[in-house]
Amino acid sequence: MINLQDMRDTARNMLAKNEVRGVIGYRRSTNGMLAEPVVITKPEQADELIWDPTCFHNLSLYLVEDRKFLAHTRAKADLPIAIIAKGCDARSTVVLMQENYFERKDVYIIGVSCEGTGVLDERKLVKKGIRATNSAFDGDDFVFTTEQGEQRIPAREVMADRCLECRECFPKEHNIVLGEDKTGRQLDAPFTALKRFEELDPAARWEFWDHQFERCIRCFACRSVCPMCYCDECIVDSTSFPVTGQTTADEKANRVKWIERSATRAENMTYHMTRVLHLAGRCIDCNECERVCPVNIPLRLLNNKMEREAREQFGYEPGASIGGPSLTASFLDTDPGKFIR
Amino acid sequence: MEKILAKNKLDDWVAALSDWQVSAPIMEDDIWSYKASKGKVQLEHSNTVQPPKGFSFPQREVFFSFEQIKGQPPRLTPIQPKAARHAVFGVRPCDGAGAVRMDTVFNDQFQDNYYQARRSNVAYVGLACNKPQGINCFCQSVGGSPVSSQGMDVLMTDLGDRYYVAAVTETGKALMTAGGKVFGEPSADDKKKLKQTHADALAQPQRAINNVDAVPAKLKASFDSPLWEELARACIGCGACTFLCPTCHCFDINDENTSSSPLRGNRVRTWDNCQFPDFTMHTSGHNPRENQGARLRQRVNHKFQYFHENFGMSQCTGCGRCITECSVGVDIVNVVNKVTEHVG
Repeated sequence: MINLQDMRDTARNMLAKNEVRGVIGYRRSTNGMLAEPVVITKPEQADELIWDPTCFHNLSLYLVEDRKFLAHTRAKADLPIAIIAKGCDARSTVVLMQENYFERKDVYIIGVSCEGTGVLDERKLVKKGIRATNSAFDGDDFVFTTEQGEQRIPAREVMADRCLECRECFPKEHNIVLGEDKTGRQLDAPFTALKRFEELDPAARWEFWDHQFERCIRCFACRSVCPMCYCDECIVDSTSFPVTGQTTADEKANRVKWIERSATRAENMTYHMTRVLHLAGRCIDCNECERVCPVNIPLRLLNNKMEREAREQFGYEPGASIGGPSLTASFLDTDPGKFIR
Repeated sequence: MEKILAKNKLDDWVAALSDWQVSAPIMEDDIWSYKASKGKVQLEHSNTVQPPKGFSFPQREVFFSFEQIKGQPPRLTPIQPKAARHAVFGVRPCDGAGAVRMDTVFNDQFQDNYYQARRSNVAYVGLACNKPQGINCFCQSVGGSPVSSQGMDVLMTDLGDRYYVAAVTETGKALMTAGGKVFGEPSADDKKKLKQTHADALAQPQRAINNVDAVPAKLKASFDSPLWEELARACIGCGACTFLCPTCHCFDINDENTSSSPLRGNRVRTWDNCQFPDFTMHTSGHNPRENQGARLRQRVNHKFQYFHENFGMSQCTGCGRCITECSVGVDIVNVVNKVTEHVG
């Protein structure tokens, strides 16, 4: 079990000793029982930090935001920034460093082990008809506070699918780590949800995605929440951010329009295909995109498909090594596809 | 016109509306959304994830098509929406109030024909909220009520085994008249029960915006508050809050080419979103709302200050969707309370 006091003390001490600029963590939101991301910068704020089954957000997104803010304000950071990182969050932090988005010394990773219980899928809880005001970890269970009193539910019944299939709930890359390493305690085999989906015949799968993409409202929550979607310029935006005073009228006029703003099925499909292809070999299955989708499009199936291809074809695991070769920017003699030789 | 409708007669009423398309909340893909009813209407829903605003203000509206053939003048073909008469069942009072705001915006000084062509064919058959639909309801803080008939054509109230059905507009009367004998006359007891149900509904606890009358002035005084950036620190800059808002109405207009030679295409209006960084991007590369704090301020001030100044009412109707659907806890009630409590 993770002792919350240890987490708070760690954050407090580091801020008090001026070892980090801030700590990215979780605090209680004003929206019911949910946690929300927070960046604390003063030691006395450490007691705001919480750790419970609603800490599902991948906080490495805020490392990207921090980097963008520094670049935008042309500020220099002398101190690293600390992040509370679950196994998945640590893996995406590794991918960001592998891609040189920032350096290892810029980040202080306070790892938290999910110890095999993972985090909550709120939708599963709603389906059970439980309206809770608070949630807590307790061994293999989640304990919810409801109007009817305390309700104890085996974690696996309401855990996020990605946690059920998680191969690495322990943040391997860390400066310090809280909680025990219970890696190997995955509850479902990897790609269980994907395998189930792939049992459908192609026509049924096409119909399924047809329906899903028809529903997309292009709020871009999936893109905005993704730590890997850090491009300054994105094909879905009407204007590109690198436009400056020096950009010529010709350059602006000749900007290729890959995708229309209309949320029609074809455009939506182009958007989602682009998104998921750009995540191949980078997505570490935090599944934030699917969680934040207001209309419940099962994006994880797409991400998982890419992940499995990379794994089966190239033996590639995203987020495994900071210095290792990346999937799309490297070539090994053992790679399949003889045509390329 | 006030009538009683036994719950098992609801489908008979819907069947009698043969001149109308009927939509109602349906649970599909694990969310409530308005869908064609296919003859069956069950009003057991909590509020829908998407408000009914799309019936009159769809996410995509084609204004006209264009064609340019070499040596000929460009040809424009206007496109007017062909909207069938549409009755939308199960609309909650916050969304009815939302329709009033949308009507105000699209008919102020200039009437938006595209909006109006659709809107004039849409009828809202509302359902009062005997209980709040979720933990983030706050309609009573913004001048609304869980039993309000604002924006509705008909308002239904659930009385257990029956609905109390009241016409609000002439269209509503026509809808009820079409039902004919499916309705009964309300007894004195029904009327008493209605009064009690409404009183109970109004007494249900909701979230609250503090000292709401002072909010517009206080927000005006807080334009430069450092709190905006702090409160938006977790904001990821997506558009869920505004796309799901019953009163957000900003749009973009683009030409979508369908052929380059000869040049053909459509001029299209699509929803736009003040939370997207490119919303205020100038062609020069300068962005006057350069951070998420400024964008949060725009969303909140538009609802709680600018709309007051322009139309004398709150634009926010307290449905709570932007809170519930925010993935990182940005909470408009909390934001308004936090910002305004710092002003004297």
